Amino acid sequence: MITIMRAPPYLTVQDAGRKHSRSAGVPPGGAMDLFALRVANALAGNAIDLAGLEWALGGGSVRFERECVFALTGAIAEATLSGTAVAPFTTTYARTGQVLSVERITSGRFLYLCCSGGFDVPLVLGSRSTYLPGRFGGADGKTLKTGESITLGAETPGRPPNGFHCAADLMPPYEGGIVHITPGTHRSMFDESAWSILTETGYRVSAASDRTGYKLEGSPIANSLGALPSEAGCPGTIQVPADGAPICLMADAPTVGGYPKIAVVSEADLPILAQRRPGDFIRFESITVERSQRALKRRASDLNTIVQSALRAFGA
Amino acid sequence: MTPHLLQAVPLGDSAVTIALGTERSAELLQRIHSVARFLAAARIPDVEEIVPAYLALTVFYDPLHASYQEMAARLVSFCEQARDSAKPTVPPRQHVIPVRYHGIDLESVASAAGLSRDEVVRRHSAAVYGVDLLGFVPGWAYLSELDPALRIPRRPEPRPRVAAGSVAIAGNQTGVYPLDTPGGWHIIGTTTTVMFDPSREPPALLAAGDTVRFERAE
Repeated sequence: MITIMRAPPYLTVQDAGRKHSRSAGVPPGGAMDLFALRVANALAGNAIDLAGLEWALGGGSVRFERECVFALTGAIAEATLSGTAVAPFTTTYARTGQVLSVERITSGRFLYLCCSGGFDVPLVLGSRSTYLPGRFGGADGKTLKTGESITLGAETPGRPPNGFHCAADLMPPYEGGIVHITPGTHRSMFDESAWSILTETGYRVSAASDRTGYKLEGSPIANSLGALPSEAGCPGTIQVPADGAPICLMADAPTVGGYPKIAVVSEADLPILAQRRPGDFIRFESITVERSQRALKRRASDLNTIVQSALRAFGA
Repeated sequence: MTPHLLQAVPLGDSAVTIALGTERSAELLQRIHSVARFLAAARIPDVEEIVPAYLALTVFYDPLHASYQEMAARLVSFCEQARDSAKPTVPPRQHVIPVRYHGIDLESVASAAGLSRDEVVRRHSAAVYGVDLLGFVPGWAYLSELDPALRIPRRPEPRPRVAAGSVAIAGNQTGVYPLDTPGGWHIIGTTTTVMFDPSREPPALLAAGDTVRFERAE
């Protein structure tokens, strides 16, 4: 079990999300930066899709009520374990009663905390992810608050050694803010200039951005199509409402919508976008679906390399 | 109707959207629902989920095991088989939802339509509605066609919170709010029927292609 000593403004349980309830109108949800969640699990000696905590908007602290292995990934935070600095993306051993304190998040948006055994909340529609708008999943569909505690699952054998960390070149290039996109289902219905505006001018993430979607500020894109009959979108879909300011759908976005869909963010780069804060700059680069799928496979293979090296480190 | 040339386009790395027509119609919607059922029954490898909509259906798949080109070709071929298949489709599931017609907008809907409240209720509960698609929020089903006399545009300003179970109308559609959410439709009644329960399998009461009738309850 861990106890929330001082809750950050946003703290929820997330895993890899729900893949089979879209036809009932349930968004896939799950970690905004799924790559980071999976790395945190690998570093904590877990199967990669176990539930972790998604942490944002400020500092806080938690106490480990049992001995465990944990890792912090995703956003970079100034953190200490009972006074000793905790390195990001690093396997860290905690003893019973020790307090993990996050002073502040210094770069990026979503911090992930995974502990050996994973967070044991009930499965809802096949996932432990919190879906706040529907008030289900995670801890009763809510953010975790100060004083609450959350149970850890049974540990599996195979702890990576204390201090094990993953190689930086296996991580997505978070810093550059370059996000690849493939043409969306309505790309050909937009004016000729729309695609070049989207790919040649930069955008900033607006303050109006959350787990549902990131509104983008920059050159508007002419939408002479108005609204179309609704059809399915997915996290990463860039749609253009009548005001011309593109919105990128994120994990908790509605499953269908009627705004024209000009582009879709490459899944391999979705973590890069998810980690941008309001005001941060991004630039879109066009690629084919074939290349985008190759990039996704590459990301999966990098993740597997991290998992394998963590296992080897355990064996050594 | 002349056969529409099936066109598949990618929706990102893990989905294919296949347009089955270009103009919204009840016939097209039925065809899309029947193709969606055919695809689901075919249990195509690597397919994770099928989401039918007004002009198209979208198939989500595992991109680590199937490439876009392979998947699009496979799906177009299945859709053609489905279209050409003479097999009668499964009859739609029929639901009856009891409604207490005492919604806060019943009076304003009646005056906008130039009808009595009773006549609004009679017309709303007389029709058999088709489930067009699910979305907006979990368990929300867009139902059509609403009686032409009752069609009014959605409210200019959505309400910040509409209670779960509210039965509402807008345009040519009606629906039941499955969760407490913001909403811009005109509320004419409430039901105690649970439209969405995440602990149920499937969680949504209604599925695309089902039919719904509302029954006046006291």
